[in-house]
Amino acid sequence: MARQRSLAIFAAALVAAGTLAACGDAGDESDEAKGPVTLTLLEYQEPRADAVEKMLPDFEAAMTKQGRDIKVKLIRDILPDDQFKTKITQQYNAGEAPDVTDYGASFVPGFAGAGYLLDLTPYLKKWSEWESFYPEVRDQIVQPDGKIYALPHEANTQNLFYRKDVLDKLGVSTTQPTTWPELITRLKQITAETGKPAMVLPAGSTWGGGTFGEGFLNVMLGTGSTLYNTDSEKWVVESPGLTETFNLYDELTNNDLLPVEALLNPEPWQPTKYQAFPAGELPVAAQGTWGWRYDWGPEGAAPIPGLLEKVATWDYPSSDGEPYAVSSVAFSYEVSAKTEHPDEAVELAKWLSSGQAIAEQLVAVGAAAPRTGIDDIAPYSSQPTLIETGKQLATSRSFPPRPGQDQIAQAVAEATEGILTGKMDGAAAAKAFAESAKELLGPDQVETATS
Amino acid sequence: MVLGLLGPSLVLIALFVVGPVGYAIWLSLTNKTLTGFGAQTPEFIGLENYRRLLTSADFLHSMGRTGEFIFFSAIVGQFLLGMLAAVLLTKSTVRAKGLFGGAILLPMVVPEVVASLAWASMLAPGQLGTVNRTLDAVGVTPLAWLQEHPMASLIVINTWRGIAFAMIMFQAAIEGISDDLIEAAHIDGAGARKVFRYITLPLIRGPIFLFLLLTTITTASVFGLIYFLTRGGPGGQTQVTSIYIYEHSFAFFQLGLGSAASVIMLVVVLVLGLTYVRLARVEV
Repeated sequence: MARQRSLAIFAAALVAAGTLAACGDAGDESDEAKGPVTLTLLEYQEPRADAVEKMLPDFEAAMTKQGRDIKVKLIRDILPDDQFKTKITQQYNAGEAPDVTDYGASFVPGFAGAGYLLDLTPYLKKWSEWESFYPEVRDQIVQPDGKIYALPHEANTQNLFYRKDVLDKLGVSTTQPTTWPELITRLKQITAETGKPAMVLPAGSTWGGGTFGEGFLNVMLGTGSTLYNTDSEKWVVESPGLTETFNLYDELTNNDLLPVEALLNPEPWQPTKYQAFPAGELPVAAQGTWGWRYDWGPEGAAPIPGLLEKVATWDYPSSDGEPYAVSSVAFSYEVSAKTEHPDEAVELAKWLSSGQAIAEQLVAVGAAAPRTGIDDIAPYSSQPTLIETGKQLATSRSFPPRPGQDQIAQAVAEATEGILTGKMDGAAAAKAFAESAKELLGPDQVETATS
Repeated sequence: MVLGLLGPSLVLIALFVVGPVGYAIWLSLTNKTLTGFGAQTPEFIGLENYRRLLTSADFLHSMGRTGEFIFFSAIVGQFLLGMLAAVLLTKSTVRAKGLFGGAILLPMVVPEVVASLAWASMLAPGQLGTVNRTLDAVGVTPLAWLQEHPMASLIVINTWRGIAFAMIMFQAAIEGISDDLIEAAHIDGAGARKVFRYITLPLIRGPIFLFLLLTTITTASVFGLIYFLTRGGPGGQTQVTSIYIYEHSFAFFQLGLGSAASVIMLVVVLVLGLTYVRLARVEV
C-alpha cells in the first residue's frame, strides 16, 4: 500500500514537473518572439570593421521600422588571413562561431562541405535583389552540391598594373601586350635600361596563398588548360598549361625580370608593391582592384601621388593572343549553421550587401560591386576605377574556389620557390608540383590532362 | 591512503596528459578533417595515415631535417658552448662572471617571437641587416642568410637560445664535484685537460645525458622560431616535423594525418630518450 502511494506521488510529481516545464518553455518561446535578438558579426580586417561599424546603427533603425528588435554586436578580431582561418575553423568546429562572419570566398568550399554554414539558397531565391547580382558572381559561389552558402558583397578583377610615367620615360610601349613573348620583350627592355627587375608576379612560399591566387592562377587561365575537372571533381595536376605556366616563371627568373631576393623574403609585398613600385623602380606589378585604394590610394599602405595619371593596367596576355582580366568574388557574408537566429542573420547579410551599406564598404576597401544598382550611390559613384572594374566582370576569366585549393596553393608555392632558388627549371617544377599536390590532396583527388 | 594522496595528481595527469595522447592516437587512426565534405563523416582507417606518412618523401624529408636541426643545434652547438661557458664560470681566474653569465642567460628569457623578429632583422639581406653590415665592414660580400643558408642560420639561432640552459645544468654539476678529487688528481700529476677528461666528465655524465634528453625533446618541438623566420622554406629546406605537423593540422586541417605525424614523432623522441637514459644509467 505504502509502495503504491509512493508510486502515485512520484507519478504526480513527474506530471506536475512536466507541465511546469512545458509552461516554462511556452513562456520562453513567447518572450523570444517578442524580445530583442542580438546577433554577432565578426570582422577580421580593420577597414572592413570600421566601415561596417558605422552602418550597424542604421541597420538596427531599419529593423525597428519593420517592427523587429534586432541588435548587432560587432566582434573586431583583427588577424592575418591564415591565423583567422585557423581560428574560425576551430570556432565552427566547436559550434561557437558568430552568427555572421565576413571572409573571402576561397574559404567557403571547405566550410560549406563541413556543414558549418547555413544554406542560403532558399533565402536568396525569395530575395528580389538577388537577381541584381551579376550572373558571373552568382555562378562562382555555387558549391559542388548545387547550394549557395555565401552572400558576396565585393568583387575584384586582377590585371597587370604598370607605371605609365616610367615606361614612357624609358621609351617602352604601353599598348596592351597580347602574348607573353611580347610582354617579356618589353620587360627585358626595362631591365636593360634600369639594371633592375621589371615585374613583380607573386611566387614562392612567403607570399602565402597570393602566389596561387594573385599570380600563378591568373597566368594559368590564359593557357587554355583546365585546372579542375568539374565532372570528376578532381584537380588536374599535370597538363600542358601547367608546364607552360611554370616555364614562364622560369623564363622570368632566368632573365632577371623578377625581384627574386625580395620574393624569397618574409612579407615580399613590402619591398616590391609597397616600396619599389611606388618609387617607380619596379614598373610592372600583378595586382588587383584593391591596389587602387588599399595599397596605392591616398590612404593606402604606400600612396602614389597622382595615382590615376601615373598608373594604368594591362590585361593578362594569353596563349591565344586574347588578353583577359581575371575576376573573382572577394569577401562575402556567411551565416553559421548553428545560429539561433537564421532569419535575422540572413537579414543582416542582405542589408549589408545592399544600397548605401555596400557602397560604403566597397569604397573603404577598394573593391568593385558584385551587383547592379550601386554605381550611382555615393561614395561609390565617385570611384571611376571601381566602376570600370565592375564592368569588366562580364568579360573576364575566373576560377571559382574549389575544395582542396589550399593544398594546391601550397604545392604551387613550393614549386615556384624551387624556380626562384634556381633548384628547378619549369619542367622540374611542374613535376614537383604534381607530386606535391598528389601527396597533399591524396592520390584519389587528382588526375592528369593531355590538353 | 597512498591513492588518496596521489589521487589529485593522477586525475590531472589523466586529464591533461594521458587523455590528449590517447585521443591523438585515436585521431591518427581516422581520416578526421575540419573542412571539406569529409569533415562530416570521419571514418576509422586503421594504419593508413601511418602508411601514407612513412612512404611520403615530404614527411621523411622533414624527419631528416629535424634530426639535422637537433644534432647540430642542440647536441653539438648547445652542448659544446654550454659546457665551455660552464667551465669558464667555474674557473676562479675568470673575471666579470656576472656579466658573462648574464649575457648568456639573456637569450633564454627573450620570448621566442621577439627573438625571431630580432634575428630576422639582423639577418636581413643586402645592407639592411646588422650581420651583413658588420661583414661588409670587413670586406665580406653581403648574403641573404635566410635564403642561402636557412638551416645553418636556424641552427646558430637555436644554439644561441639554448646555451644558457646547458650552462646552468653543467655549471651546477661541475660545482658539485668535490675539490678533494680535483686536488688529488693534480697531486698525481694530472693537468687541466686530464682532470676534465677523466674526473669532471665521468662525474657529470648524469646531468649531461639529462641535458641531452631534455634538449632533444625541446628542440624537436621548436616551432615558433622556424615558423616566424622561414616558415619551413625556402623550398622545404627548413621544413622540420613540427612545421609539417602544423601545416597538415592547422593549415589544411587534416587532423588525422597531423595526429599520426605527431605520434610518430612521439615514438622517435621516446626511443631517443630511452637510449639516453640507458647510456647514462640514470634511474628515472
